[in-house]
Amino acid sequence: MLAVMLTASVVALAQSAQKLTLSGVVRDTSGEPVVGASIVLPGTSSGTISGADGDYSLRNVPENATIAVECLGYKSQAIAVGGRSQINIVLEEDSMFIEETVVVGYGQMKKSDLTGSVSSVKTEALTDVPSNTIEGLLQGRVAGVQVINASQDPGATATIRIRGNSSLNGSNAPLVVIDGFPYGEAGALSQINPQDIISMEVLKDASASAIYGSRGANGVILITTRKAKGNLTRVSVRQQTTLSSFSTPLDIWRDPVLMAMISNEGRKNAGLVEQYIGAVNTNGVYYPSINELQTSWSTNTRWDEIVFRKCPVSNNTTVQVQSSNDKTMFTASANYFLDNGMYIKDTYNKYGGNFAVEHKIIENLKLKASANITGSKRHSNGYLSYNRNPIFPVYDENGDYWQYSVQDYYHPLAITNLQKDETKGMDLISYFGIDYQIIPCLNFTAQLNYKHGETIRDVYFPKKYTERGVFNDGYGGINNWKDDNLVVEAYATFDKTFAQKHHFTAMAGYSYENYSSRSSGLASVGYVNESLGNENLAAGNPEKYQISNSAYKTELVSAMLRLNYAYDNRYLVTFTARADGSSKFGANNKWAFFPSAALSWKMNEESWMKDIKQINLMKIRASYGISGNQGISAYQTLSRYGQHKYYNDGQWVTSIGPGYISGSTGQGGIYAVWSGIPNVGLKWETTSQFDLGFDAAFFDNRLNFTFDWYYKHTSDLLRQRNIAPSSGYDKMWVNDGEILNTGFEFTLDGVIFRNKNWNVGATMVFSLNRNKVLSLGNAVEAGLNVDTRTGMQYEFYGNSLEQYRAYTNILAVGKPMYVFYGYVVDGIVQSLAEGLDAGLSGDDAQPGEFRYVNIYNADRLNTINEDDRCIIGDPNPDFTASLALNASWKGLDFNIFFNGVFGNDVINTKRFSMPSNQPLRWTVDNRTEKYPRLNDNRQTKLSNWWVEDGSFVRIQSATLGYTWHYTKKDYGRKLRFYVSGDNLFTFTKFSGYDPEVSALGVYNGGYPRLRKWTFGVDFTF
Amino acid sequence: MKRISIILASLALVCGCTLEEYPYGFYSENNFYKTAADAESAINYVYDAITYIEYSRAIVFLGDMNTDVMTPKGDATAATKELDGWKMATFKTNTTLYNFYKYSYITINRANSVIENVPKMDIDQALKDRCVGEAYFMRAYSYYCLARNFGRVPIHLKPTRTLDDTTVAPAESLDQLWAQIFSDLENAESLMQVNAAPRPGRTDKVAALSLMAKAYLYLASAKESGAPFYKDMNFGVEDYYQKSVQAAAKVVADPSQTTYHFDSDLMAIYDVEKSDGPEHIFIMSMDRTGETEGQYSKISKMYIPYISGGTIYLKQGDTDVLIKSHDGWSEYQTAADFWNSFEAGDRRHDWLFCDKVYDVNGNLLASYPGNKLSYPFCRKFIDPDYSGDKTSTKPMLIRFSDIALVYAEAAGPTEKAYELVNFIRSRAGLSPLSAGLSKEAFRAAVQKERTYELAFEGDLCYDLRRQNKLHTNITEAKGQGWTAEDMVFYPIPSLETDLNPYIK
Repeated sequence: MLAVMLTASVVALAQSAQKLTLSGVVRDTSGEPVVGASIVLPGTSSGTISGADGDYSLRNVPENATIAVECLGYKSQAIAVGGRSQINIVLEEDSMFIEETVVVGYGQMKKSDLTGSVSSVKTEALTDVPSNTIEGLLQGRVAGVQVINASQDPGATATIRIRGNSSLNGSNAPLVVIDGFPYGEAGALSQINPQDIISMEVLKDASASAIYGSRGANGVILITTRKAKGNLTRVSVRQQTTLSSFSTPLDIWRDPVLMAMISNEGRKNAGLVEQYIGAVNTNGVYYPSINELQTSWSTNTRWDEIVFRKCPVSNNTTVQVQSSNDKTMFTASANYFLDNGMYIKDTYNKYGGNFAVEHKIIENLKLKASANITGSKRHSNGYLSYNRNPIFPVYDENGDYWQYSVQDYYHPLAITNLQKDETKGMDLISYFGIDYQIIPCLNFTAQLNYKHGETIRDVYFPKKYTERGVFNDGYGGINNWKDDNLVVEAYATFDKTFAQKHHFTAMAGYSYENYSSRSSGLASVGYVNESLGNENLAAGNPEKYQISNSAYKTELVSAMLRLNYAYDNRYLVTFTARADGSSKFGANNKWAFFPSAALSWKMNEESWMKDIKQINLMKIRASYGISGNQGISAYQTLSRYGQHKYYNDGQWVTSIGPGYISGSTGQGGIYAVWSGIPNVGLKWETTSQFDLGFDAAFFDNRLNFTFDWYYKHTSDLLRQRNIAPSSGYDKMWVNDGEILNTGFEFTLDGVIFRNKNWNVGATMVFSLNRNKVLSLGNAVEAGLNVDTRTGMQYEFYGNSLEQYRAYTNILAVGKPMYVFYGYVVDGIVQSLAEGLDAGLSGDDAQPGEFRYVNIYNADRLNTINEDDRCIIGDPNPDFTASLALNASWKGLDFNIFFNGVFGNDVINTKRFSMPSNQPLRWTVDNRTEKYPRLNDNRQTKLSNWWVEDGSFVRIQSATLGYTWHYTKKDYGRKLRFYVSGDNLFTFTKFSGYDPEVSALGVYNGGYPRLRKWTFGVDFTF
Repeated sequence: MKRISIILASLALVCGCTLEEYPYGFYSENNFYKTAADAESAINYVYDAITYIEYSRAIVFLGDMNTDVMTPKGDATAATKELDGWKMATFKTNTTLYNFYKYSYITINRANSVIENVPKMDIDQALKDRCVGEAYFMRAYSYYCLARNFGRVPIHLKPTRTLDDTTVAPAESLDQLWAQIFSDLENAESLMQVNAAPRPGRTDKVAALSLMAKAYLYLASAKESGAPFYKDMNFGVEDYYQKSVQAAAKVVADPSQTTYHFDSDLMAIYDVEKSDGPEHIFIMSMDRTGETEGQYSKISKMYIPYISGGTIYLKQGDTDVLIKSHDGWSEYQTAADFWNSFEAGDRRHDWLFCDKVYDVNGNLLASYPGNKLSYPFCRKFIDPDYSGDKTSTKPMLIRFSDIALVYAEAAGPTEKAYELVNFIRSRAGLSPLSAGLSKEAFRAAVQKERTYELAFEGDLCYDLRRQNKLHTNITEAKGQGWTAEDMVFYPIPSLETDLNPYIK
């Protein structure tokens, strides 16, 4: 807060009106006292400022006067005194206000002084939709940040990308920093209750993120948790109850007759014996004939009703206590989060406690401490077969689960009731720090963070009904994992203005981080008695106990420096530098140095613009810097032996020697990849980023605009190069390869209409990113494939899909990451002659098959072969955009949020296997060009036929609430009721359940997206 | 920059940390080769290399798939179809050949590590000699496999430690490469003893002598038959035949060697429970209790056709005893012409190939031809106690009968040679070879006997190679007009030639 000093020289005015002494308290809308607000009588020099509790008193106020109340960060008010002597003033926070401070790495800054690209999010409004992690709620809210909530399972986490993907083998997730503690990768921050968070800052360009050095390349998300403020005690209770249901109907067979006809047709066309002919098949299961199904067959099990909950109810309760006085302030909160999935008994529970205290030992020395404990329990029971054949009964005549063969591992009730998969977790994040204002211009901060996490997973697979259990005669296991992370940091900040025009800030600091994790696994098989499950692993066959353990340790030592200089509040310069020493780096590259620099010009402070009242801010920013990605895992720079069980002389022995299996390759991953030769030169990936930004605010800050253009170049990509096979090894990690991300993003935010009762506003966010693989390293060493037709160099990426016996995605030089690669289909073969003419042969040339296009003819073979593949789609969106509208009228508030993703392609693997599309098949009587014939023997090639437009616009959320401030004394004490809807409607051409899939763009079915209705109560007293 | 480094390094000192990494939970050269058990586990790691599916299957079927006796199923993997069809243009990138090449060198690298490190250890000399001897054997075996298939390959004699070590020059000549193989075998032979009983998955002196006999015969017959490149090698054909006889004699004609001998029961040779039988000089070690493929074997499924996706029963020999098996994947199919070419009454045809399959009650389920059985399949690799897909089937790498035939072929029509061949024939239910055959006729008869005795055990293609008959006796190759020069070696895989600057 700027303390505005008023010299009150009271001038007696000849006035007939009575004068009185006016007093009261100034608070903000949340009830916090506002310190330093000025209360003045316009046209006079009479005025005062509010004190530490927000109280004020002003003498000699005419009864009929109008006072003006102003405070930075709040909307100004004019209040008619109207004879009152007591006026409590509620100042509305000016959310558009540019002077708010934002958290940057190792410090805070006035937002208007930022030279880098930093987006700040007030998270409170987002938490009307309950979420396990805060990051998932960021979807569409921040320009340049892509959030994918692909999974809807209980406790699911999100995928976060800032300005595209910039790593192939390292992580692409931004770094999350909680109150100064570098916690780890964004996306799975379930340890912090979203309601304990007050703001998040997203550091996007190098000027902002380079201060995090070798971990800043993917951007940084800074999270600030709630701290008490003001001189008060307050308790708030937030309760949310959520009801979930499918937003689109399930696509399953309801009519067994049609299902059977489709099945028979597919087998008949393939030359196989039809299934539904009223006979027992080789497994001994009787399949009725079509006629029987139409007449006498009675079993029509609705598996979806068995597998899914009707309407899962989830819960989120948070109780917060905040209290403070002049010396001490503390907050404590407790949270209970229950997420019930759609599948029966598929649940996630979380209990959390958060305690933070701040105490002033002496006026300029503060002690801070906090502890956050979370316990979670995940009972997994997902992926049950809801589309199981409806002619199958649930139970057999003995009351046991009915199986179609001993290899029927998919009976949903058998799995639900007999299989065990439970993970319990506990996390502790603690913090201890001091904040010492040595002299007014010099501050010293030191902090120690310690995080401990552990999980224990219990599994049991029974001897019957489960694949693993059948294979092992019962399988029980316990997996333990724990990690510890200690971070010690200290930094000093110098802040002084010289000769009124030269504002200088310097920060220098030091950081040490020590991370270690350990795991152990126990398993046994061959159970005599299954009643204890995995509770007694010793009951398994003693000769087959399986044990494993591992550990992992890394160290990081860093020094950082930041210099800010502002001349006359017009020209701003920032320089940052960080040096990182990491144990993960090779002996020849232990230290990394990451500098950045930025310039900014506040045009609105220039004399020629200062007088234009409509312009509140006009600023140009430019920054350039280098940051890194430590996507190496530890021990890659050491030579390493492997070990394997070998059957020698009738017993298993451990064999040890050079080379270990570091991965797998080939169809189904059956081939081992051998590594073990160290690379002593291994180092971080380097991202250099250039950012040009423009910020503007108009009309009393009612209209705000922020624009950024960036050019982000990543080099030294961590890749595995091939080694000549005669060495006895396959792969070795090297730094080779380049990726480019360029794009622009803007946020337009404005108050459309505002008066005493009404407030209508809108925020639009737009992001566009273009990603390009510039190099995949030395083509020979990398063993890149070459597209015969175009000469394009590429390698396959991700997993191969059995459905196509092919990888879906490739990394190709000159193309965006993850593009789809496959054949082109231009229709359906209508006659054998046409098929042969198209270059097809054998079964592929038959009428009703896909008409693949022979796009490569230089081989002079009129045949379809691997050379006829090309890029058939791009899962990266052309752009994303969102629009948030909010309106309030008195105590009523309403907001609606539209989020859209445009121009991305999705491979719909279910495009011809669902009850909704199989009946559209090609037949002799329906010679369509759209769908092929049914053919159970077809080896389908991946082609553009499976690629669909994944664009969508979603009504992501809408909330209607009513707030009642039941006491005038404290505006923060309130009662709010609201109802919010999540995923209300989706506009899309995509034919599957939902187009929001993982970044690789492959849709695998699953179940429909959930629509959630949340009923919430916030009560603060 | 240097000054900055010093400043930064002193920063590290402030926290007392060195940023050094210490291995946790895994072994490296620094903390291994300390105890006798280390030496034992190091040599086991050498043998372990040949059990991975990329290699263990190829060791066997690379000797048969590319000849006329075996055909792949219609939708077999590309690599198998290419090999079967001798699509030479694809051989540089054929995944089977690549994996075969790669795993030979993985075995060699592991053996090199033993050969270099174990002699320096302070442990019992006898144990040292045995481990090092076995490592020499495995290195020789791997180079023997590489030399026969790829010709002049790079020779690595030291473990690979750095990137610079990964590429070395190929052998200057076939003579140099084979000299290395013989040198390793001599070392192996002198360091090892004869085991008291066969140890499945391990080797001994007899294995070294056996491989020596095979190697000398290979070269002698290859040069004699005028096979390209071999005909220019510097050795005497007769000399090598004699060396082969000398080595083989120590296996098949030395009364003091009692560990290995003929198994008079034909079916016992192929009984998975008798992998320590007297015939098995070198057998791959696998067991159905393993956790991953390689530890256990699925090789049986490759030979057996798909029948019903369940259990099938076969009749054992000429009895009515039913033997259980899973059905298979129809990958390695018997060519009808080969099946029909056996002499009438050959038990190796009647007992070791199945043209009838039964259910548990002995009712006929399928038969060949015409009744749901697509080909008469080889049952040498079945495991009646299979567990799901897992079996204890162990591919036979060197068998006593093989060495007996090596002796006979190298020695020519001697009394001992006749005795050995006729034992094998009588075990198969056949009459003795006609007496008094000329050397050429006798050798041809022995070679023919190999085709039937060692059918589907991974030998035929190598016999054709050394007899310079690849281009004449393989229909698919003849059809494409490949010459002896084209076919004598597979090309070295492209990943090697691309990355190894020493290979032009």
